Amino acid sequence: MAEYALELSNLSRHFYLKNGAFKEPTLLKAVDGISLRIRPGETLGLVGESGCGKSTLAKMILGLLEPTDGDVLINDKMRGASSRLSMSRQLQPIFQDPYSSLNPRKTIEQIIRLPLQLHKIGDAKSQQKAVQDISDLVGLPERLLKNYPGQLSGGQRQRVAIARALILKPNILVCDEPTSALDVSVQAQILNLLMDLKKELGLTYLFISHNLGVVEHLVDRVAVMYRGKIVEQGTREEIFQNAQHPYTQALLSSVLTPEPALGLPEVLDSSAWDRAS
Amino acid sequence: MKRILDVKNLQVSLPTPNGNLRAVRGIDLHVNKGEMLCIVGESGCGKSMTSMALMGLLPKRAEVTAETMYFDGMDLLSLSKKERNQVRGMRMSMIFQEPMTSLNPSYTLGNQLCEGIIKHKKVSKDEAKKRAVYLLERAGVPYPEKRLDQYPHQLSGGLRQRVMIAMALMCEPDLIIADEPTTALDVTIQAQILRLIRELQQEFGTAVIFITHDLGVVARIADRVAVMYAGQVVETASAQDLFADPQHPYTKGLLNCIPIPGKTLPGSHLESIPGVVPSLIGELKGCAFENRCSASIGECCYRSPSLENHLGSEAHQVRCPVATTSFQEAV
Repeated sequence: MAEYALELSNLSRHFYLKNGAFKEPTLLKAVDGISLRIRPGETLGLVGESGCGKSTLAKMILGLLEPTDGDVLINDKMRGASSRLSMSRQLQPIFQDPYSSLNPRKTIEQIIRLPLQLHKIGDAKSQQKAVQDISDLVGLPERLLKNYPGQLSGGQRQRVAIARALILKPNILVCDEPTSALDVSVQAQILNLLMDLKKELGLTYLFISHNLGVVEHLVDRVAVMYRGKIVEQGTREEIFQNAQHPYTQALLSSVLTPEPALGLPEVLDSSAWDRAS
Repeated sequence: MKRILDVKNLQVSLPTPNGNLRAVRGIDLHVNKGEMLCIVGESGCGKSMTSMALMGLLPKRAEVTAETMYFDGMDLLSLSKKERNQVRGMRMSMIFQEPMTSLNPSYTLGNQLCEGIIKHKKVSKDEAKKRAVYLLERAGVPYPEKRLDQYPHQLSGGLRQRVMIAMALMCEPDLIIADEPTTALDVTIQAQILRLIRELQQEFGTAVIFITHDLGVVARIADRVAVMYAGQVVETASAQDLFADPQHPYTKGLLNCIPIPGKTLPGSHLESIPGVVPSLIGELKGCAFENRCSASIGECCYRSPSLENHLGSEAHQVRCPVATTSFQEAV
């Protein structure tokens, strides 16, 4: 077994923003030298505000975006050393918005089955069986398989996305804000499902979210990202009970729990943590 | 306490190819002067429809009816379009969810900020600008004079939302409807914006209807809360009472399914509400929550419950016969 399911070493991605035809383009370091390691069976939560580079990082891990510098290692093998097709057997994404990440013109069965067809696994009959098994596993009623995504609720669609990700039996899932488009009552169902699947299949998660309540509930370790860099990482206890970086502290203090007596938190402006990083 | 807004039996229905969609199915709502009322519910429960109906912003094909809809003693339903336009923007204003899309990209901020007050209050351009600068400053926008000549795309999301808040306050309205004003923002910015809304509301004595799906936000900001489900108010109470002693099974369910840092055991199984929201097309028989409710009894599937006082108090009302009877049995 590989020592690390996912390893990022000094990963960077820079963009050049055009400022008109004659001006120098501005350099934007969306991801700036990030190193992270996730052991098999571990869940790492990646938190940070919008625009901090979380999704750029996820895209590079998935091979959807070329890094400017640095390496992604999946199960101790370099991404890029083998084809994207073979990497996709080990690593699969779950995207944020189940309303736009499923093809509206395909039935649910076709959507879940497509990875098997691309990888030429099994014949039609065994593929159909695999689709039914995986739908059972994620709690998707069989009668929905003939339906189109438009006929499903948000929670059901996210189950389809999870089924599609799991059908190739990968050991790593990259979840980019998997519940932020869902209502809270449905969010709980999906979080429970992700936890059950982890126990059952021994999955490794990279869980990207801005919802700290959800992150604390789900993850073993947390990495806090700010302006393209990891400013702090540690175990769940270290981060949630004893955060060191002012940005992490500010993030934690702005979590609003349903406790009316506490009132609104005092939030520092960003200069405090800009100085620290 | 003086009621600034008093609505009885508000209904909104929209024609769709599959039949009439009854988005709001009889809502009673009132807001006192200077009060913060939070309307909370999940997507599709009719909370935005309610706010649009109150503002009179729904498209013509939407059918809006109500027994009464009084705003500061004025019957909003009997106003002509012109009179309604006078009220909207001047005495009632709105903060929208998406500061990215609700500001016009092709006009300067100064232009958009001053438009309303020049039209409604017949003030000069200079006076309008002065007020805009003052309010931008109060809303925590740095370099307010410079902003008047800038365009929305030159500002970050948080700053744009501050501009929206300043804009809503331009004419000193009596009521502001804020529809998910912080949903598109980061958590640190959200806390700052909520503080700002709360401070300005207290300073100017404005009544606010704050619409959100986030119970954490509701708990920290509301005076009074109305929980909506499938186009109806299912429970209403003061923020203290609602969170300390929720009565409706839906409210309880919602509160149980959020993982709370420091309270919920990490990795434990979260409670969830099974099933999905019923379709609002056509008539609903019985209680709308019956199919997802763990406490439902036989009569729930055919009798529509009404909003009843809890513990005999008008301040806490629940639309659930089971919650109210179990109390009566206990007595």
